[in-house]
Amino acid sequence: MGNFFTNPLISKELRERFRTPKTSWTVGLYLFVCGAIIIGFMKIIANEQTDLLGSGDRLLVIMAAVHYALICFIAPALAAGAISGERERQTLNILLTTHLSPRRIVLSKMLTSILFMFLLLIASMPLYSFIFLYGGVAPMQLVKLFLFFTVNIIFFGSLGIFCSTWIKRTSISTITAYGIGFFFVVGTGVILFFLMNFITYWITDTRMTPMDYPILEWIASINPCIVGLNILEKNLMGESWTIFSQYYWIIFTAFYLVLSVILLCLAAYILKPVRRPWSE
Amino acid sequence: MIQTHDLTKRYGKFEALNSVNLSIEKGKVYGFIGPNGAGKTTTMMILSTLLSASSGKAYVGGYDVEKEPKDVRHILGYMPDFFGVYDNLKATEYLDFYASAYNIPQKNRSALIADLLELVNLSNKADSYVDHLSRGMKQRLGLARCLVHSPEVLILDEPASGLDPRARIEMREILKKLQGLGKTILISSHILPELAELCDEIGVIEKGRLIASGSVPEVSVDTRGISIMQVKVIGREEVAEQILSSDPLVRRVDNKGNHFRFHYIGSPEEKVYLLQKLIAAEVPVTHFADSQENLEDVFLAITEGVGN
Repeated sequence: MGNFFTNPLISKELRERFRTPKTSWTVGLYLFVCGAIIIGFMKIIANEQTDLLGSGDRLLVIMAAVHYALICFIAPALAAGAISGERERQTLNILLTTHLSPRRIVLSKMLTSILFMFLLLIASMPLYSFIFLYGGVAPMQLVKLFLFFTVNIIFFGSLGIFCSTWIKRTSISTITAYGIGFFFVVGTGVILFFLMNFITYWITDTRMTPMDYPILEWIASINPCIVGLNILEKNLMGESWTIFSQYYWIIFTAFYLVLSVILLCLAAYILKPVRRPWSE
Repeated sequence: MIQTHDLTKRYGKFEALNSVNLSIEKGKVYGFIGPNGAGKTTTMMILSTLLSASSGKAYVGGYDVEKEPKDVRHILGYMPDFFGVYDNLKATEYLDFYASAYNIPQKNRSALIADLLELVNLSNKADSYVDHLSRGMKQRLGLARCLVHSPEVLILDEPASGLDPRARIEMREILKKLQGLGKTILISSHILPELAELCDEIGVIEKGRLIASGSVPEVSVDTRGISIMQVKVIGREEVAEQILSSDPLVRRVDNKGNHFRFHYIGSPEEKVYLLQKLIAAEVPVTHFADSQENLEDVFLAITEGVGN
């Protein structure tokens, strides 16, 4: 890790990525989509209510939802072709005979993939200034939201890199990354909903409510939609869930960062041409 | 410099390599001959630390390829049979990337890259995008890429495949230069004339087995009781072909119009009898003599019957 930031793969990847017109088009399209949705929503607010003061929080929810959807859509796709793309253009074997270790290759690919996602996020920051025109949003909320996005980008990037190493074809690895990502974003929510209803309707002990099952709080804490809404102060779970209401942020961050580290370690292991688990 | 002991590789029930024993001395050029699927690439990938063997041992420069892969990579340059390039990089940037991947200090890189481009005759393409180079140029650039860390051993898997004759000759000239620099080279090909002039030793591999290995005279056709003969006629070619094909001591008749090349497994007296048969059939023979053997003959003679 000593000279990680002078890693040749990072400079090569960035040089390649930013030389193509596709990159500028992607940034432009991303900002256009975000901007169009925000302006459209501002128009709707202006038509609905005459007093616009304090309606910035509604705008923040919409912007956060749009951003999150774009992160879910773009981050896995950027990372899912990183290693399999090298394999497809027959450059991976050459890379593996250099002095770059599989771990370094995986980390560099991961970093260059998420750097582009961060570029998109930072480029869209000025759009958030519209929120402050209307008021009703604390700056700390925005900081929390960006940290939430950061954790998600790291997770989706790691997931994409893992799928890209595990699966040989980029198209299949992208679909797999979307599928696994969908499980965490939507699947955990569906499981939570199913378990809550199961407890409400099928457990005959009337003294027990869904709030008495800590497992549900843990599931809620790893669902990005529920956590994201909680950051935006749209609490779906109520205050009676003590673990969730107090520690949701820590649980969410720890869970996804640990999962990301595990996925990256697995990717580095899979990438080793000759796997000897007890060496090096 | 390169050694393998009973190197075996299995993919399920399929045995891609079967107890291959190789020994290549420092500074030698070793030609690996065999048809597609014979096990050349598998051997080379194991030696290049890209594949693990099912059993047996392989050493490059004294380092065990499985236990000391990092040390092997320090002294090894590998060029696969098919390889891609990075589309949006110039030739110098491409080499600079690999030079930094081999931890070459930045201050040394520009001189090194200029030297390498000159070695492979690509100095005039230094600022061209790699993707715009011809196939032959990309192969030469790939060879330059193998040399960025000045390896002692080069493993080149079919470096001239898919090249036109001119590009092939250029590639051969570069390999001769590398031979002159004292590099140990393991080079494979299924196009045999490519290796003929270049190799100090050859190994013939077929169906995963190394069936002959040694210097070119050691594995020559002569040592197997086969001579390569050439007959030239100036008429009655059909009759000549019929006589040659029907002779039980003649093998592999190659008809080139008025010029026949074939393997002969008989004694000198029997050669005289064959010539008499041609004369008796009124075939106007202008030339009847032993011919210079080439690697194709060696390969065909050695692999005869291996497939069965």
